Amino acid sequence: MQRFYLPLLLLLMVVFEGVALDFVPQSLMAKELLMIPHWLLLFLVMITLFYDLENTYYSLLYAILFGLMIDITYTDVLGVYMFVYALVIYIIHGIRKVLHANFFVALLLSIIAIALADIGIYIIYFFIGINELLWNDYMMIRLIPTLIANSVFFILLYPIIKTRLLNWSQERFDSKKM
Amino acid sequence: MLFFRKKRLFFILIGFILLVGLIGFSLSERDDKTIVEEFIQDSVGWMQGIVHVPVEYTTTIAKNIKEIKNVYEENQLLKTRLNQYNRLLEEVNDLRADNETLRSTLDKTESESLRDFNAIQATVIARSKEQWFKMVTINKGEQDGLEKNMAVITGEGMIGKIYTTSQFTSSVMLLNGFDQSNRISVNVNVEDREKDASGFIIGYDEESESLLLELDEYNIELAKEEVVFSSGLGGVFPKGLEIGTIEEVKPDRYGLTKIAHVTPSADFYDLSHVIVVERLAEQPEESVEEEE
Repeated sequence: MQRFYLPLLLLLMVVFEGVALDFVPQSLMAKELLMIPHWLLLFLVMITLFYDLENTYYSLLYAILFGLMIDITYTDVLGVYMFVYALVIYIIHGIRKVLHANFFVALLLSIIAIALADIGIYIIYFFIGINELLWNDYMMIRLIPTLIANSVFFILLYPIIKTRLLNWSQERFDSKKM
Repeated sequence: MLFFRKKRLFFILIGFILLVGLIGFSLSERDDKTIVEEFIQDSVGWMQGIVHVPVEYTTTIAKNIKEIKNVYEENQLLKTRLNQYNRLLEEVNDLRADNETLRSTLDKTESESLRDFNAIQATVIARSKEQWFKMVTINKGEQDGLEKNMAVITGEGMIGKIYTTSQFTSSVMLLNGFDQSNRISVNVNVEDREKDASGFIIGYDEESESLLLELDEYNIELAKEEVVFSSGLGGVFPKGLEIGTIEEVKPDRYGLTKIAHVTPSADFYDLSHVIVVERLAEQPEESVEEEE
């Protein structure tokens, strides 16, 4: 049963991203600032840090599956989120071996992950011709608001989910060893 | 160690090839979505429909409280308006009857004019999280008779058109996401001329937050605040859907045509209930196929 919790929670993140913008006050929307909810990615980073072991790649698998789901439901171009999320999670999985995971490391890694992912998405969409923003505009309009908004969400998510992920991880992988 | 590096590079390359392939596939001109896409969109849409209700409830509470303060004044104003509307309604009925008798004397018996349409009510259940795609999801799909390219309006004016449909949900492309490939033929009301000015909506200007309207005629003076509405020609939109009001008119880069900036009537950010418009008059593409 427990192995279904993670996919369900991730699916819920995908669903919630669609209504996330309702929470943003109208006055901020009118200023043409773009805040992209990367909640799924935040969750995936947490899974990488607290659920996965060094030699398991569940987060990567989920990144590919649910990234594709985001592509299908929210955008018109397939594969962009899938590729970018998978790549970013792979990088985070690599860094994880070097750093000990506490709150600040997790926050730092999440911010790095979101920055990387959003820049990756910007570059790919720029080449396809979906956006024509220049780098400086992109930084001011989209990257910085997105980073701030997602950091707030991370601080809310972290205390709720951390211990649970550690528990699930222990139950899952300890039982396997025995 | 070298073996692992090679393997890693191999996977990244495969991923990259997959990415390019998928992008190519989705950018190619395709009419219908694949079954997998429809299935995922419908099931996520179904969940969004459930989640949307409490979210909408909580986010609108603050707004509702603010509105309650003004209720009394608004009510007074509306009561006075109501009388005027009654008079207007009578006048419209009169004109309609007049129109019918005149049409019958002209032997113009076609009952389906470009203005007639069916309205399908729908609710916006999600907005694309990638805000470069100006799309929202609504809770009606092919099962409710929706088709690609139908116009979508609110009480204030037109907001966009159906971009893709699944069985139970569809995504709407908002007017501010329109580009050259999906233009709308429009008319502009000109006061001191009998004929309306015509033109095309060719895109959206992010900086001035207005739609760009290319006028067919060069020697034409348009006053500010004139109403722009769809002409019903060349497509699936019925005639007479309000789009916006003229903000300013200036010549284009090369001085060959005039471009008008049009402020959209509807608010694209505050959407909840929308109406999908199904035109009753026959569509031009179909008649071409019949001729062939």
